[in-house]
Amino acid sequence: MQPTSSMKEEFLQKWQMGLQIYRPLIDNTSVSERRKAIKLSADVAMASLRRGTTCWSRALIQKTATEDNFLVRQMLSGIKAETLINKKLPKVMCHRKIVRRSKKILRRRKSRSAIEEVAAKARKLVNKKTQGLRNVVPGGEFMSNDVLLIQETLDYIVSLQTQVNVMRSIVDAAEAGSER
Amino acid sequence: MDLTGAFGARSAAVGPCREPPGLESLHIGGGDGGFTALLELPPTQAVELLHFTDPSLSSSSQAAAAAVAGIGLDVSPPPPLHAYGALTFPSNEALMERAARFSVMANEQQQQQNGNVSGETTTTSSVPSNSDRVKTEPGETDSSQRLENNRCGKRKELDKKVKGSTKKKSKSSEENEKLPYVHVRARRGQATDSHSLAERARREKINARMKLLQELVPGCDKIQGTALVLDEIINHVQSLQRQVEMLSMRLAAVNPRIDFNFDTLLASENGSLMDGSFSGTAMQLAWPHQVTETEQSFHHRQLQQLPLPPQQWPYDGLNQPAWGREGDQDQGNGHSSLMVGSASLHPNQVKMEL
Repeated sequence: MQPTSSMKEEFLQKWQMGLQIYRPLIDNTSVSERRKAIKLSADVAMASLRRGTTCWSRALIQKTATEDNFLVRQMLSGIKAETLINKKLPKVMCHRKIVRRSKKILRRRKSRSAIEEVAAKARKLVNKKTQGLRNVVPGGEFMSNDVLLIQETLDYIVSLQTQVNVMRSIVDAAEAGSER
Repeated sequence: MDLTGAFGARSAAVGPCREPPGLESLHIGGGDGGFTALLELPPTQAVELLHFTDPSLSSSSQAAAAAVAGIGLDVSPPPPLHAYGALTFPSNEALMERAARFSVMANEQQQQQNGNVSGETTTTSSVPSNSDRVKTEPGETDSSQRLENNRCGKRKELDKKVKGSTKKKSKSSEENEKLPYVHVRARRGQATDSHSLAERARREKINARMKLLQELVPGCDKIQGTALVLDEIINHVQSLQRQVEMLSMRLAAVNPRIDFNFDTLLASENGSLMDGSFSGTAMQLAWPHQVTETEQSFHHRQLQQLPLPPQQWPYDGLNQPAWGREGDQDQGNGHSSLMVGSASLHPNQVKMEL
């Protein structure tokens, strides 16, 4: 599923709305502050496309709320704002170290054939990669099962692609315009 | 939950005009065991469900987006049934067809025995694997076996058992027609309890979604093995995130004026920004400079010292139509063009443009 033009337009609108909020702030002169403003508003715009249905969008909104609460409130304008910002980080926080330690204790000694050893190693590798994916996807630590994680990743990649496409076209146009 | 999603797909396979009556209950009551939910249906309808396939699985992108949005919720009121049909992304059909082609032989036997009336061929009959879970499960896992043989050591044994599995599958299909509940013949070397069945179903789900991910991420089709594919996915996500950062940096560095107002004009003038060429948008960028700066920052600019730009503003030709547009701001346009030229040269000197 590739980004659709309707998604891109909606993202653009929301992103503009976010940027408008920054307009009156005159002290946004340093490049880093402007970059941060742009990035935060783009992130919130991307997350708000999903209207709180996906886990990563909620986590992303909460993350940006820690950096700029005001922006998030203004951008989400009411409905989601209070629920999303005030809500504590959701349900399962999987303390991996504790789980791992308890698994080691519970593990029985089993005679391992060669095939099983290979399979066990493969499984460990996959688990490591899965954990890596959880670190990258926002809110990944709270996704309890793998199916959910992969679904969220799918959606997140599509949204990221939308964001990148829109931003790239804006930047290209802006740079082309100001080059001369 | 996951399983209700599976049943949703199955119901969508039935088609919007032919939903069997007992299907609503599936969503609510089919939580625990995937296959026991079929118990609630009379046998003919269960068989119908298992046989019927929807040849047109393509869904509008909107529905797909809605379904993707709906997937993330664990607890939600069941949306209209056809929305679940969009769970199978448009690409899924191609994937399932590929999977089905691997298992054509196995399915042909089954089709002959059941006397499948519909004109749908063997390929389409196994297209939505979710709906034909019982029947084509060994068939599909054949293909998935070959793809992911190195993933699970147990499956290596199952390559030999394909022939046996097809025979057993045919028997199970016959029994489905007569009895009110579904016999699932386990393949040799696998347990038959509900736990492993549910686990197998879960694995199938994961594999299906991994295939979708592989399609999405460029360069993942050739890779064998889950760990490497996951690696690629992680790299792709990280590269996308880095691109976002780079683009925001570029945008911030380009011109303090640009970012905040121009895209309103761009969006309104272009129907859809993405389809237009960059040159077109670049031309239009010059206008917003003139428009907005004259309106809001003119008096501010008078206070500043404007260094004359050493080079001529090349969009002079463009100023003419702009002046034509806003005839009352001729003075401002001249100044604004100067301003833009200087801004590009000395971005730090432009103080207030925000």
